[in-house]
Amino acid sequence: MNLINALSPLQWAFLLAIPPAILSLYFLKLKRHPVEVPSTYLWSRTIEDLHVNSIWQKLRQSLLLFLQILVVLLAILACLRPGFRGTELIGDRFIFLIDNSASMSAKDLGRTRLSVAQERVIELINQMKSSDVAMVISFSDVQRVEQSFTHSRSQLRQRVNRIQPTQRRTDLSDALRAAAGLANPGRTSEVGTNDYQVAEALPATLYIYSDGGVPKVPDFSLGNLEPIYVAIGDEQAENVGIVSFSTEQNPEKPTQMQAYARLENSGTEPVTVEVELTLDGEFLDAAEVQIPARAVRSISSGSGADSTNAEADGEGAGDGGDVERKDDLPGAAGVQFELEHPGHAVLQLTINQQDDFPLDNTAYSVVNRPRQANVLLVTPGNESLELALSTSEAARIALVEIEPPSVLTTSAHQASAEAGIYDLIIYDQCVPVRMPAANTLIIGDIPPVDGWSKGERVNRPVIIDTDPAHPMTQLVQMGDVKYNYDGFPIDGPTGAATLMDADVGPIMVIAARAGFEDVALGIDIVGKYADGNVGPKTEWPIRRSFPVFMMNTVRYLGGARLSYSTESHQPGTAVKIRSSLPVEQLHVTSPIGNETTLDREAQNSFVYSETDHVGVYETKEGRGREIAQRFAVNMFSSRESDLRPEPNIVLGYELVDGQSASEPARKELWKWLLIIALSVLVFEWYVYNRRVYL
Amino acid sequence: MPPSATQSSLLSPQMLAQLERLELVSRKIFRGRLKGERRSRRKGQSVEFADFRNYVQGDDLRFVDWNLYARLDKLFLKLFLEEEDLHFYTLIDTSASMTFGQPSKLQHAKQLAAALGFIGLCRADRVKIETLGTSLAKPGPTLRGRASLWRMLEYLDGIDEPNNVPLAAGVKDFCVRNSGQGILVLITDLMDKAGYESALRFLLARQMDVYVIHVLSQEEMHPDLKGDLKLVDCEDQDVAEITVSRPLLDRYRKTLAAFIDGAREYCTRRGMSYLMTTTDTPVETLVLNYLRQRGLVR
Repeated sequence: MNLINALSPLQWAFLLAIPPAILSLYFLKLKRHPVEVPSTYLWSRTIEDLHVNSIWQKLRQSLLLFLQILVVLLAILACLRPGFRGTELIGDRFIFLIDNSASMSAKDLGRTRLSVAQERVIELINQMKSSDVAMVISFSDVQRVEQSFTHSRSQLRQRVNRIQPTQRRTDLSDALRAAAGLANPGRTSEVGTNDYQVAEALPATLYIYSDGGVPKVPDFSLGNLEPIYVAIGDEQAENVGIVSFSTEQNPEKPTQMQAYARLENSGTEPVTVEVELTLDGEFLDAAEVQIPARAVRSISSGSGADSTNAEADGEGAGDGGDVERKDDLPGAAGVQFELEHPGHAVLQLTINQQDDFPLDNTAYSVVNRPRQANVLLVTPGNESLELALSTSEAARIALVEIEPPSVLTTSAHQASAEAGIYDLIIYDQCVPVRMPAANTLIIGDIPPVDGWSKGERVNRPVIIDTDPAHPMTQLVQMGDVKYNYDGFPIDGPTGAATLMDADVGPIMVIAARAGFEDVALGIDIVGKYADGNVGPKTEWPIRRSFPVFMMNTVRYLGGARLSYSTESHQPGTAVKIRSSLPVEQLHVTSPIGNETTLDREAQNSFVYSETDHVGVYETKEGRGREIAQRFAVNMFSSRESDLRPEPNIVLGYELVDGQSASEPARKELWKWLLIIALSVLVFEWYVYNRRVYL
Repeated sequence: MPPSATQSSLLSPQMLAQLERLELVSRKIFRGRLKGERRSRRKGQSVEFADFRNYVQGDDLRFVDWNLYARLDKLFLKLFLEEEDLHFYTLIDTSASMTFGQPSKLQHAKQLAAALGFIGLCRADRVKIETLGTSLAKPGPTLRGRASLWRMLEYLDGIDEPNNVPLAAGVKDFCVRNSGQGILVLITDLMDKAGYESALRFLLARQMDVYVIHVLSQEEMHPDLKGDLKLVDCEDQDVAEITVSRPLLDRYRKTLAAFIDGAREYCTRRGMSYLMTTTDTPVETLVLNYLRQRGLVR
């Protein structure tokens, strides 16, 4: 029990003057107005009970006095703000980690979990002694130090109240590292001496207010941090959410699309929900989905599974070497829609059911027009290359222009090459004057920039190996290419990767150049022989691997986007956007109407990182008014959709149990005192009015 | 019509005309002093035959029925009913408490006394009006005959000074001076701190036909009081301090109702007629309706 003074000395003087004032008013007898009546006979009989006992009379008067003094005393006591601590705050340094990830927006406690957490933290801050220091960190998948260590309780309260909910996922590791910064200072060591601490360790109590939907934090040592995890949320919270939603072209019927969604139910009862699919806001289809309740399920994983994290089940471990892990998982169900190809549209899937967490009840999928790659082939004439780039598949994904090498010196070409109109320029038997703002494939030469060098031409190089993992050389089997007239090994700049190796050295090398990539091929496809004749110099074009390689080149270096549906991004992740036109700026409008202008980065790409809100983002290119592209940001997190608060969290090697909902906090009594004072006042009024009966 | 009747505010000409037709009724038949218009229990000289009885020695031979003697050869005496006057007393409480009310309780009492007295005068009854505490030296007039109306009204108009006499003392004084039997109408507010019971007991002892008319003013029935008050009794300056509240007023009304009920029960049990009236009840209504129902007038 302790007291906090809530009044200034002047206010105290005024308040303390009230009881003597009441007493003095009692000494001044009540002035009654005399009225002459025919007879006091009946009045005397009416009030004669009052006069039965004069001691009681005095008592009655003093009862009123007593009650009035009591009211004032209670008010005075209330002004002293008496209170007691449910639990003592441990230590004198506190770090409050407040989860503001998407799931903290759930309203299962009547209001958002975040506001409950904020209130709890403020209760703790109120308990702090003036010598205590605390810091406030909010975290979702990123951490943010809202307030570094301070004594100021008002500042802490203000900062805690300023924490806004986000729609991001939860990741505690960043926040823990920030919190551990001062508590566990780094160590340094010098040769010949023992290692020593660079700063004095300052142990602190770490309060984590979260619903626990956090991935495990491996490789973290709490050190001097004393963790206290407070689970926020209702154990019985129920939620049905969409955890994935995607659209694909129907492989059998190219004019049709299929939309798939997966729904999860974190409640303990199976539910049936209605999902509605809309196309650009207009109703398209609906379906009823039955989702089973959450249950403990066994997950069997291969014997090579990470056994430290898996709780080995006795029976499961016994047979077949499979490790079975039992986990309490939400129930899941899928739903599929078939629809006509909509072209350029936004599909929205909505669960028609109100729950505590509306954020995951809507999912978006964007169908954009496929984007064709702009490819320029600069060649004096190469039938096999032209043939490989004129197939129907190539025509579908790329617009191919063919120019002679003489164009390289024209200013028009140089301007358009530098403007980044082309995604890919293939230089056959020539090299550019200046490297263009595009990806390049240079056949039979190397890029005229620093870092590249080529060896002596040797006759009949034998290709030994290709990199099967790189997209450029995927599925390219060079084993049957036996004859190459000549070739030279290539040495790329720092960071270059060899795509194709020959007996003479790397013969195909890829290297990055300011956001673009250049590929140099050390053999000619068509070239000039020593006798001056021009003809094929390799048998590669007649092998199957050649058109495959060319298609890989157009796909990878051309950046063609074939899929109609774009991938979905999660809130908080950076999105790389490639404009279809070579524009300097791209304007992105977020679902809440914020417009951001992005400057071009390498490869005609723009990086947008303000994906904080779930919804559809629209991009406009340059000065264009039309929406060029759209992309969707969706929650799609099973962990965030599962509203059940985790009973404990794992921090490094330590399991931290959640504390009960009743939190250590200063219990203020002044409200109760005022209520009692009010009741006494009412009773006093009653006594005063009914005193004839006393 | 006597000139005073129009001058006095007590009785209006219209009311006099209504009252003329009425007469006072006694539930008991009393012996009057003078021959009046009423049949007496006494047999006497009147034209109204009552009974026969055997002649005994010493009877007046004038009353022997000679026709019967001729037929039966026996002497019978013919008895006739005696007609007598009625003693009608009105006793008015003139204590200071009677001056309250609009009109005052005293005015109301005087009007009532005038109305009842006029009825008595019209029927040749012996009407006597007195106030409580009337001194022996100046007794109220004894009136008979319609011609005495002006004297009665003059006497009533003259009553205006409050005279605080305890109810019991006043009644006792009255009983001592007026020994005759008859009808007594006591008009009072019964507000005597010593109680009304002893006063009424004196009247009972006189074997009188007693009517108690209990007059209360509006301010007693529905007191219009507010706030913290010091109530001062107008008669004995007694003080009662009250803080008016709804419960207190409710309690007052209960006390008043109990007081009225108590008086009514006391009177009824002892053969007295009790009538409670308020000053805002017109005297005509009181006489022509309520007292008629009670049987005082016919």
